[in-house]
Amino acid sequence: MTEELLNLKDVKKYFGLRGAPWRKAQSVRAVDGVNLVVRKGETVGLVGESGSGKSTLARVATRLLDPTQGRVEIGGTDVTKVRGRRLRPVRRRIQMVFQDPQASLNPRQSVGTILSTPYRAQGIRPTRTQLVDLLKQVGLAEQYLERYPHEFSGGQRQRIGIARALSVKPDLLVCDEPVSALDVSVQAQVLNLLADLRDELGLSYVLVAHDLAVVRQVADRIAVMYLGTIVEEGPAAQVYEAPAHPYTKALLSAVPVPEPGVDRDRIVLTGDVPTPIDPPSGCPFRTRCYKAQDVCATERPVLEPVQGSTEHSTEHSTGHRAACYFPEPPPS
Amino acid sequence: MAEPGLTAPILEVHDLHVTFTTEGGPVPAVDGIDFAVAPGETLAIVGESGSGKSVSSAAVMGLLPSNAQVTGEVLLDGRELNGLPGDELRKIRGNDIAMVFQDALSALNPYYTVGWQVAEAYRLHHDVSKKKAHERAIELLDKVGIPDASRRADSYPHEFSGGMRQRVVIAMALVNDPRVLIADEPTTALDVTVQAQIMRLLDDVQAEFGTALILISHDLGVVAEVADDVLVMYAGRAAERGTVRDIFFRAAHPYTLGLLGAMPRVDVPPKPRLTTIPGTPPTPGSITTGCPFQPRCAYTHRVGERCITERPELTPRPGQGDHEAACHLGRRPEVLL
Amino acid sequence: MPDLVWFVTRRLFAALLVMLALSLAVYLVFYAIPADPAHLACGKPCTPDRLEQARHFMQLDQSTLQQYLSFLKGVFAGRTFGDGTAAVHCNAPCFGYSFPLARPVTTLILDRLPVTASIAIGAAILWLLFGVSLGVIAALNRGHFLDRLAIGVALVGVSTPSFLLGLLAILVFGFWLNMVPVNGYVPFTESPVDWAWHLITPWIVLAILQAASYIRLTRSQMLEELNLDYITTARAKGAGESRVVLTHGLRGVLVPVVTLFGLDLGGLLGGAILTEKVFSMQGLGDLLITAVGSLDVAVVVGVTLFSAFLIILANLVVDIVHGVLDPRVSHG
Repeated sequence: MTEELLNLKDVKKYFGLRGAPWRKAQSVRAVDGVNLVVRKGETVGLVGESGSGKSTLARVATRLLDPTQGRVEIGGTDVTKVRGRRLRPVRRRIQMVFQDPQASLNPRQSVGTILSTPYRAQGIRPTRTQLVDLLKQVGLAEQYLERYPHEFSGGQRQRIGIARALSVKPDLLVCDEPVSALDVSVQAQVLNLLADLRDELGLSYVLVAHDLAVVRQVADRIAVMYLGTIVEEGPAAQVYEAPAHPYTKALLSAVPVPEPGVDRDRIVLTGDVPTPIDPPSGCPFRTRCYKAQDVCATERPVLEPVQGSTEHSTEHSTGHRAACYFPEPPPS
Repeated sequence: MAEPGLTAPILEVHDLHVTFTTEGGPVPAVDGIDFAVAPGETLAIVGESGSGKSVSSAAVMGLLPSNAQVTGEVLLDGRELNGLPGDELRKIRGNDIAMVFQDALSALNPYYTVGWQVAEAYRLHHDVSKKKAHERAIELLDKVGIPDASRRADSYPHEFSGGMRQRVVIAMALVNDPRVLIADEPTTALDVTVQAQIMRLLDDVQAEFGTALILISHDLGVVAEVADDVLVMYAGRAAERGTVRDIFFRAAHPYTLGLLGAMPRVDVPPKPRLTTIPGTPPTPGSITTGCPFQPRCAYTHRVGERCITERPELTPRPGQGDHEAACHLGRRPEVLL
Repeated sequence: MPDLVWFVTRRLFAALLVMLALSLAVYLVFYAIPADPAHLACGKPCTPDRLEQARHFMQLDQSTLQQYLSFLKGVFAGRTFGDGTAAVHCNAPCFGYSFPLARPVTTLILDRLPVTASIAIGAAILWLLFGVSLGVIAALNRGHFLDRLAIGVALVGVSTPSFLLGLLAILVFGFWLNMVPVNGYVPFTESPVDWAWHLITPWIVLAILQAASYIRLTRSQMLEELNLDYITTARAKGAGESRVVLTHGLRGVLVPVVTLFGLDLGGLLGGAILTEKVFSMQGLGDLLITAVGSLDVAVVVGVTLFSAFLIILANLVVDIVHGVLDPRVSHG
């Protein structure tokens, strides 16, 4: 079994809401009990709609947020309670790339300063060669080192964001919507870059994205989130070809395909995602589900191996699993 | 969807130029484009940031700031709109031509209830009592699928979900039964399951009222699904135009082809690598001679100097109807690679 | 609505705490002044005996803490100085007793408040109307003549000292043109017309000085507002320019304007010192200045606390009004 880079165990993240004292204390259950393992060399796609908790989960995984409950293990060590300086070795293994490179790069710092920040946080003074190599790795030329973020296009800025994350030679990059702010033609460049870096450096990724086509392009494994829980997980090909959870099925069918006349057999869901303050009892998806029955309101279904999954499920299963009482049958 | 080309266009735009006067000199954002849309038909204008697609629609509506100079013809049912005095144009805006914006949260006024905002749109073009306008607003909110519309009309925009807000914006646009609806990235800010709901709603509206729809989008998936005709814009010019099948199956412009290759797909196993277009879209006005796409084009070497010196005009290409592309390359590019 | 009640309760409780802390601070500061109010009260010749008597009568012989506690007790239960026939009563709420003026501070403040309030409220209405409309006009004519003119007026208003403008106004309109009375205050209850006629000059002078910040705030807010998407929506709906500005634009401008207005008015109600002096009006500012001159510490403390209370109250009102003006503000 390959090395586990990231292991999230029953992670919950609630955000408290303040209110009048006679009101029941409320909290937003952004992440509500997630188990997720990322192994060396793999790319895990974390997909879901807004409010699914995918971005919060990414921030808990990178220890930017403290989990309300559960364990975060990075490289086999429990780092749930690690704070401050002692987080440095953690940060060396796991880095984050943000959605909006405009907002995540300090406009008053030159690219050189931006790239050397993670080094300095580790107590290292990088040489110019190191910084130039970083730039080259993401396809930017040496002369950009002295320039400032506003002199770059969105795609170039995202490359700088990636270079910054790569500076400490992490094993795992958590990318939160890395291409959603970019034009289509530029998005493809960045996706290809991520794939190249994976091949060259043996990187692993957690790719958080709402765009299912983008995720399919790069991910080996997919976790589909809905209202703070993972409702389906498995090898990308299986999840995309034969989604077992009705939500995944509806989600995939809703994505338009750039080919006129293709029959999408669309399942249009009614209504909106319920509020994570007061999620439905039992299965979180039951209020919008076309298959919901009485039993769905009783207890939350757990992830179970999908019929016909090519791999057997163990505790550390990478097989195809879904949390549904009435999963879609495998295609004949 | 009506068969394209069978009905006379309701909105025609000829040789539209938009130039912004800035401190750094004039910036041509739209540099001579033509398009037309017929009742019940959907025209998609596709392009990346800086392509001029949103500026074009704002120009049609007369919504550009005062530093924008608009020339060319904008004909609504044969009547010239460009150069109309403000009062005349105001009677057309929101009445004959209405608009749906990308981000419903910022497009709605946070200080007024949604019912008030929809009713306002009605009262601006109809001399009716506030009560009547409010009833009309509720009718429209109900029509676009807002549950419990008479009660929800008294809610404020921030009390709605993203999808419901976009429905409000659509209700506001439809309240005067417009003949042309311009939707600028109407689903970009929405989740994909909600996007499917909104696209279905727009489709239903079109079928019921025969509205002509101009869809401005960067999402080729959405375009493939709903458009009859497509105009691909690049750097303020038309790169290619044709029926949706012409564009997706017989793309004649290297840029169109590049865009199609750069789109990852959800329904088929991924290619090992996406096709990319090197570089980034040019800022408006930065390329003045030759083909604006030339610096990023993989086929320039097939043509040579002409791409740098001579601006390609739209010329007919094989296809269903008026398939045209602005490229010096005579043949279909993918055949050459 | 219960949320609002809770909000106000919470804020009033916080205000009480602030007032307590503030009163202690004010007390300590003013009683640290090395001047003995008893000297003024003991008459001439001031023998050590009589001084001691006066100190005892004024309760100045107690420790500072004790004095403060007596002060607090007086607020809630009233207090009595001396005993027998010479006793002086100060009924609750007693904010101290002015021996030089031989009146309880509370009475003094209530006597002077109508004067200050008349000046402040009238001027406030003027500067609000004047400032906001000039600001809107400036924004709509950005870069043109009217904009420059409004900015010029604002600049003059900001940089002119109030006594200078006040004296000039008295000189020109009062003496040279003989249009308006130059000083004095007529109570509203006596003659509303004379009341207004006597106040018109201070109103205008104060309004010109204060309007400056409103012109600038309104202008910049309106320019920002006019760039917002919902303004474009209003135009796209077919709304005329005046409707766009007044119905859709102004609402958002009002929120920060109301904040500034509340605090300005709250501050001014505590005494418009220079204006009252220039126009010889016996308001709170005049009371305060005279008290400082005569070492009447009780009045200084009382007026200072009253002004602070007005500021706190203004803050609370501003926050409540925000909730009315902006439906997105929740008082939960």
